[in-house]
Amino acid sequence: MQRVWVVVLSVWAVLAIVAVLAWSSRPAAPAPQLASQQVLVKGANGKQRLVVLKAPAHATTSTSAAVRP
Amino acid sequence: MSPLARIEWRAVGTTCSAAATTTFGQEAAAQLALTAAQDEVAACERELSRFDPGSGLSRLNAAAGDWVQIGPRLREALRLALRAREETAGRFDPTVLPALVAAGYDRSFDLLEERPAERADGWHRGASIEVDEQRCLARIEAGAAVDLGGIGKGYAAGRALDAMFEIAPRIRGGLVDLGGDIAVRGDAPGGGPWRIAVADPRRPGETLAILALAAGGVATSGRDARRFGPHRSLHHLIDPETGESALAGPLTVTAVAPDAAQAEAAATTLAIASLTEAETFVTVRPELSALYVPHSGPPIPLGRPPFEPQRFVVKAA
Repeated sequence: MQRVWVVVLSVWAVLAIVAVLAWSSRPAAPAPQLASQQVLVKGANGKQRLVVLKAPAHATTSTSAAVRP
Repeated sequence: MSPLARIEWRAVGTTCSAAATTTFGQEAAAQLALTAAQDEVAACERELSRFDPGSGLSRLNAAAGDWVQIGPRLREALRLALRAREETAGRFDPTVLPALVAAGYDRSFDLLEERPAERADGWHRGASIEVDEQRCLARIEAGAAVDLGGIGKGYAAGRALDAMFEIAPRIRGGLVDLGGDIAVRGDAPGGGPWRIAVADPRRPGETLAILALAAGGVATSGRDARRFGPHRSLHHLIDPETGESALAGPLTVTAVAPDAAQAEAAATTLAIASLTEAETFVTVRPELSALYVPHSGPPIPLGRPPFEPQRFVVKAA
């Protein structure tokens, strides 16, 4: 009987370790203020369409204008 | 999660920014990287500005005809400018300064006063620039003067980006933007390439395209800004063939290259090129691509600009 309990506890211990490892090394989420978002929108005709929302750019290139005081 | 550290300041006659992609626990290193970028831009400006009478470039111009001791940044920027002049067969020429000054662009842009354009006496294209790399000496032809404005900014952007990675090698990515001359490397926040918007010169505040760039440089040149002279009829793009504000060329052109200095040299060259000339220029240089925006009609991609795919809004029915 004691051996059964040892096996049960060992299995639980292994599961707990796996859960902790999975939680701590989860993939990085994109920075929310810069990531693009995809939203399913239901149109007037009932059809669903995927809307890809533009993410803001990190920088803008243009002909360099002078600094305004 | 990969946070973004960012700084914005004014230098080199424009608005500058630097950004670093970092990880949790590395925020201090990211701040160090941003400070290093700022310091490097300041160091470049001290050597390369033609508006600072104490800069290395101003001393070189003032002593035209004589050998002058120069700093390592000016030496490198001169080397890049000379290479660009050679590679563009003189279409990019850092010695157009006397023609630019004669046209009226004789002080920092925000201090310009209106006066009629003149022609530079005795100016000729392709004035000689000699650089003794070993001894850090340079000499320009008597009567000539050098302007490293555009390529100097591109060079400074690249140097500043290098400085960020030197002082904080563990940052995951970096971006330096000197008034539209942009250098990037590594990951943007959230992973993937940096997204660079190309401003629409015809509709202020609008974007023409988004470029996705993991490494390299971007620069835009054109005649939509920095106009001056009578009725704002002149612009800062001097055609080395004539010594006057260029007639041919697009409204703007954005060039993408392996580094920001090359991108700036390419943009300056393409900005005074007809569409046919621009197509030929990019075709024979596979490392370059560009977005050529004519005065009217749609923008024209040259080469294969790294447009960000599938980033448009699909309107729901």
